Amino acid sequence: MSEQVSELLDSLRAKAERGDLLYIGESVVRVDSLEKVLGSPVYTADLIPKGTVYAKLFHSSVPHGIIKRMELGQARSCPGVLGILTPKDIPGLNESSAVLPDRQLYADPVVRSTGDILGAVVAETYPAASDAAARIKVDYDPLPAIFDPLDALKPDAIRIHQKGNIARQMKIRKGDVEEGFSRSDVILERTYRTQFQDAVPLEPEVGLAIPEDGGVRVIGSMQSPHHTQAAVAKVLKLPPEKVHVIQAVTGGAFGPKSDETPFDVCSTAALAAVKYRRPVYCGLDREDSMVMHTKRHPFVITHKTGVTSDGMLVADESRLVGDTGAYASLGVFVIVRATFHTVGAYEIPNVKADSFLVYTDNTYSGSLRGFGGPQAIFAIESQMEELARKLGMDPLEFRLRNMLVPGKKSATSAVMDGSCGLPQCVEKVVASSNYREKAARYRNQNGNLRRGLGIALLMHGNSLGPEGNDYGAVHIEVLSDGTISVGSGLTEYGTGAMSGIMQVASSVLGVPLSRFKLERPDTSKHRESGPTVASRVVVIGGNASKQAAEKLRGRILPLAAELLKTDDKRVTMVDGMAFDRRKPSAKVEWDTIVAEAYRRGVGLKEEGFFMAPPAPWDQEVGQGTPYVQYTWGALIVEVELDMSTGYYTLVGAHAAYDVGKAVNPNGVLGQIYGGTVQGLGYAMMEELLHKDGAVVNPNLGDYYIPTSMDIPREFKAFIVEVPGPLGPFGAKIIAEPPIVLPGAAVRNAVLNASGVSVDDLPVTSEKVLMGMKLRQAPRTH
Amino acid sequence: MKRLITLNVNGTDHPINVDVTVRLIDVLRDQLGARSVKEGCSTGDCGICAVLVDGKLVNSCLMLAGQCDGRRVTTLEGLLDDPEMKRMQGSFIANNAAQCGFCTPAMLMASWDLARRASSPTDEEIKVAISGILCRCTGYYQIIDSIHQGCKGTRR
Repeated sequence: MSEQVSELLDSLRAKAERGDLLYIGESVVRVDSLEKVLGSPVYTADLIPKGTVYAKLFHSSVPHGIIKRMELGQARSCPGVLGILTPKDIPGLNESSAVLPDRQLYADPVVRSTGDILGAVVAETYPAASDAAARIKVDYDPLPAIFDPLDALKPDAIRIHQKGNIARQMKIRKGDVEEGFSRSDVILERTYRTQFQDAVPLEPEVGLAIPEDGGVRVIGSMQSPHHTQAAVAKVLKLPPEKVHVIQAVTGGAFGPKSDETPFDVCSTAALAAVKYRRPVYCGLDREDSMVMHTKRHPFVITHKTGVTSDGMLVADESRLVGDTGAYASLGVFVIVRATFHTVGAYEIPNVKADSFLVYTDNTYSGSLRGFGGPQAIFAIESQMEELARKLGMDPLEFRLRNMLVPGKKSATSAVMDGSCGLPQCVEKVVASSNYREKAARYRNQNGNLRRGLGIALLMHGNSLGPEGNDYGAVHIEVLSDGTISVGSGLTEYGTGAMSGIMQVASSVLGVPLSRFKLERPDTSKHRESGPTVASRVVVIGGNASKQAAEKLRGRILPLAAELLKTDDKRVTMVDGMAFDRRKPSAKVEWDTIVAEAYRRGVGLKEEGFFMAPPAPWDQEVGQGTPYVQYTWGALIVEVELDMSTGYYTLVGAHAAYDVGKAVNPNGVLGQIYGGTVQGLGYAMMEELLHKDGAVVNPNLGDYYIPTSMDIPREFKAFIVEVPGPLGPFGAKIIAEPPIVLPGAAVRNAVLNASGVSVDDLPVTSEKVLMGMKLRQAPRTH
Repeated sequence: MKRLITLNVNGTDHPINVDVTVRLIDVLRDQLGARSVKEGCSTGDCGICAVLVDGKLVNSCLMLAGQCDGRRVTTLEGLLDDPEMKRMQGSFIANNAAQCGFCTPAMLMASWDLARRASSPTDEEIKVAISGILCRCTGYYQIIDSIHQGCKGTRR
């Protein structure tokens, strides 16, 4: 391979130097791989022009209070400082909120968390801005603060926002749980807690603003450029078209970059650019990012579950409380997804769920890969394990008896159709892990090092469901040189999804992906396409891409038929060549057809638009069909645990996901590996800690994420393909789901190895050791 | 306080007048245009600013430019014509080892450094070689596959 690759790289580098978009042959589909392995300057910080000045945000030091006075004089007189932005510098609305209008760009005069931004120092260099920001003194009238979401629900709790502490409430009602409990032989009630997780995209949030004819050009790291445009325009009081937003190549996102922080850095950079008539870079360092951006909501989830002695689930009542911190952000939808998944991938005839998204004075929560799924599934899959143990049943058999299969009904009474591939996923991981033989063997262990297997099953509703209008637009233009240029307001931030939608167009047109180029999302060129979230690019954008490509095909084939002197029904395009099916020797090349189209003035520019069918969900009744299709999955984790210390390592992971149709199998595997490992971090080590509302560990020395040394020694990943009704070619979403299962799978594996149930994530060795000590300690009461 | 130093970056001597507090990463990125060097934490924890100084992999956010006076600094830009690096890059592309791409230059530096020492490293050796560099996207498996493939047949 080496010589070939070497030549290929040379030719691709030459292309790159000419400014062409980079692409490598068919076996490798991502259109953006080459710029990444070349270390090309394509990220926001690489694009800073000469003469740029730097904005450093500063934030509150108290969790709740009223700003009395800000002492800015000392900071203002620091060398290199141009000025300090405060609410007074905002010509438009002092608002930076993604959904509910409950959050200001610069808190004024009330601060509700230590992550609240108060303003920004603008200086010639970043160190100068940073030094000056450290000299700002703020006096507050402190207010009482709430840090536990359960405290926020108490009737006498202070109100963090005027409307009260509940940002959103939801319910599910199916059957009659009381009647169900009366028919149950075993009833188990148990409470589970999850922690704050930080997304840690390796590139923190950054924005660069450059003054531009009567407005401002903004280049930044973000998921949804059109939303950023609207947010910045509101703050600057400019018409949206005067705020020209371009998404730079984005170094990881995972959710928070669809929330408010991109608004905050871009609005600040834009405010300063307009005020000082200079290019302004507002880039968060790691600490500011971890303090200021949204995290995964901690949840407190209680399940009361009834089951018959032969292991059939009868009823489940759950209460979910999500801590959204000081602001609602995307929490209003996170709580919805968590609630829909509260009983996971199981059929339970009677379900009652009540959920509450509550404000506290912690730093705020929002979007993070999985979006409520990891919390809900951790709780229900832990509950399933405890129930199986109580019944004395094998946890796999118990799950097999109750899991959703085609024809069964979800918690909201949606009937599962033939696209439910859960049984196939379970079969794969059970076989791969040699579960039955090992589980029997591990039941009788006596040594200090013990093994344990943990299972968790997944259902994951696809795309937005009732979270909003689920649409996307993609345009495709064939340039005169035959290049197929694809653009959208949907963005790429690492998963390869945009390559996926180009692959869809490539396969419809019969032209290899090497002829495609991806346009940078640009609000002046591309239509608003909704947020790039929920792993919906390939499913929703893929349909739009398919439609645009089909329209183009409708123009190309008749031309090709004419050139081939045949009927267009007999023409097919393969690998950039049109053939007459009955006379395969007659062929005409893509470039020839395109040249002919240009000669005749046949337009080769098409737009595709796709909107998912509405999700009939009745929130008053608490029943309905919130999603058109689901991604299914199963994970078995094997641990080895040291009984004297509680320390454990991951021996193996066996994962199978039903993705409907794998558009790019290597890309799907990348999502399974990457999402699982991020989920293993959540399961084993990651916890952003607050003390009195202040973030204790906002750096990667104290907040651990998995390194190469932490991953399972063996990882077997399987792709299951049971086509779904929504996505192109039956595709289902895959970027988010793999992060959902590790929490419960690790917890259950540790339980089966050590006998210790850890009900609050992460499952640290300390908690396991403590559990073993408590079990051994003589009872004193 | 400024001081005149000579940095040899990617084979070229650069006499630079630097403030003694300036970090190596800043000189590389801002003055010498080596923008493959990324900053992810500024505290030496994420490793994505890794470069070679006299052949040793270091975090350029933890080193002052002044400490590199008279030393050889190598960044990805300096290895783009190196056959072993090209092999490694090709392997990264073929195995989908770059997702968001932000850690990729540092991963490539560590991989190239390993390839010089081992033509068929074990999983464990590879994991150790990249253990100082965080990747949040891939879960490391496709990177490890790439390094296995990219190391094969390297000249030592």
